[in-house]
Amino acid sequence: MSVKYIPVQWNPNKWVYDAVMLAGVAAFLWVFLYLTPGALSHEWPINPQIHNARAFGACAFVMLTVILCIGPAARLDKRFLPLLYNRRHFGVMTAFVALTHAGYILNWYFAFSSSDKYVGLLYANSSFGQIAGFPFEIFGIFALVCLLILAATSHDFWLKFLTPPVWKRLHYLIYAAYFSVAAHVSLGILQDQQNHVFTVLFLVGAGAVIVLHLAAWMQERSEAAAKDGAWAEVARINDFREGYAKIAKLATGDRVAVYLMEGKLSAISNACAHQNGPLGEGKIIDCLVTCPWHGFQYDVRNGRSPAPFTEKVPTYRVRLMGDMVEVHPDANPPGTYVEPVALPEPEPDLPEEGATA
Amino acid sequence: MSEKPFFVGYLPAPGPLRTFLLTACILLIAGLGGAGFLMGAAQDDPGPGAFRFDYGRQTVTGVVEVTPYPVIHVTEGNDRIKPGDSFMMTAGGKSGVDGRAMPLNGQLAQVSGTVLERGDLYMMQLRGGRNGIQAVEGDAPDITPEPQGRWKLAGEICDGKCLAGAMRPGRGLAHKACANLCLLGDVPPIFVSTQPVLGEEFLLVVGPDGTRLPREAYDHVAQFITAEGEITKHGDLLVWEIDMDTIEVTE
Repeated sequence: MSVKYIPVQWNPNKWVYDAVMLAGVAAFLWVFLYLTPGALSHEWPINPQIHNARAFGACAFVMLTVILCIGPAARLDKRFLPLLYNRRHFGVMTAFVALTHAGYILNWYFAFSSSDKYVGLLYANSSFGQIAGFPFEIFGIFALVCLLILAATSHDFWLKFLTPPVWKRLHYLIYAAYFSVAAHVSLGILQDQQNHVFTVLFLVGAGAVIVLHLAAWMQERSEAAAKDGAWAEVARINDFREGYAKIAKLATGDRVAVYLMEGKLSAISNACAHQNGPLGEGKIIDCLVTCPWHGFQYDVRNGRSPAPFTEKVPTYRVRLMGDMVEVHPDANPPGTYVEPVALPEPEPDLPEEGATA
Repeated sequence: MSEKPFFVGYLPAPGPLRTFLLTACILLIAGLGGAGFLMGAAQDDPGPGAFRFDYGRQTVTGVVEVTPYPVIHVTEGNDRIKPGDSFMMTAGGKSGVDGRAMPLNGQLAQVSGTVLERGDLYMMQLRGGRNGIQAVEGDAPDITPEPQGRWKLAGEICDGKCLAGAMRPGRGLAHKACANLCLLGDVPPIFVSTQPVLGEEFLLVVGPDGTRLPREAYDHVAQFITAEGEITKHGDLLVWEIDMDTIEVTE
């Protein structure tokens, strides 16, 4: 949380996150570039430029796969949430690795020609009507453009400027990029090689992304409290835990986080004003709802961040129907105070009939 | 209900999470390193083609023939290149030497450059300007093409220079755009036959009636195809006039 824009709000966790990420990328590239040539028993080595291009291309694919696995993994097991914390840096690094791959390709395969290399990239192969020999480079270009857009708009300035919903939708481009990379690889190197170890690794990576997303979606679906009608049921009173929330999905598709704080229920939007993080998966810390992604905080009664911060989220009305907690699907304007609903006092234990002191 | 550890980015990680996160970090780094090894070590052999800088600059004399791609039939060789050898010529980068070779068609010329070699496939990258190719005095013997009949071949169309070793790997679908650029730059195209043809694996592939390889054929570059056409022998080089109507893509 901040009241001004600074390039990166560094803290020890971000340093550790980036150090681990860079160590992983360095390990991949070092092993690929310097260790594997010794393991290959080729009479003549692969050209260094092609070897480098392959190393960076494969690394970008693996990084993208890891990035896309983090989200659903964190939904399935909240212990993975810290891996989400600084995922933006992972994404920016992936864009640089992919750009390096593109640079090697462009300055090798499309260089040394009388025509401009960028022009050559677009016209050298125009066999769009066939699978074998399809100009797969086009998918790589599209994926790279997507990654560069995501990297360029990853800063909080763009989040504020575009508004979180637009920013979030823009960043769904990551899926378009991944599908495009999959097509780039499938129509390129996978059609060309005799050794199928890479094919297996590619399928395992892409399969993990698909399976994890499906599993997270199914779990969310089974837990959804979507109901028709004016008021939506959330959960029974006994299901609430002090300091934590229950999430309800409204018929509109929006999600509401209903928190129990100091014996009273309050409802706010489940989408954090920062990056649409799931507020309902956070907890109350110092009387404030704390987002599990980046720690943005809100007063659960009015959806406002504590001063001097200015973030606000919508609030909702809550009511009790018997032991069922319900929320009204119409959101109040962000920052609107709503009186919390107190839970009924538990009935005192009555002495059994006939008992004596 | 037990209290679950809750991570807040700007606060120290809760104790119970630290072991999990440490394990995840180690697995991530080790996993990326392992993936790098498996992917890097799974690369196919790019083949034996290479620039033979170790041979040094080669200079020989012979008869230039435009087939329409420039070929030289050696009349005066050296320790490595013998009289009677025939090989294709190319310029630096993705360019041919048509402009320099055409005026010398049928004449004696001295050529000088660096050899690219891949098994029986031989090509010379000429030096620039007249240092690379120039006319020399003398009578040029006639080079008479010898018809070898119509053949149906299976294999792949490549650009001769990358295949011969300018790039490793210099063939295959992932290399198709590069091969097309070379062919557009007048580098001689080569057909790599799956089976030896008259003792040769590599044939210079041209269009019908001695024309250049038609642009329509570029769609089939790097594909595994079968096609028919007349083969003629020019010196010790086989030239295949591909019949475009007979091209079939095979698995």
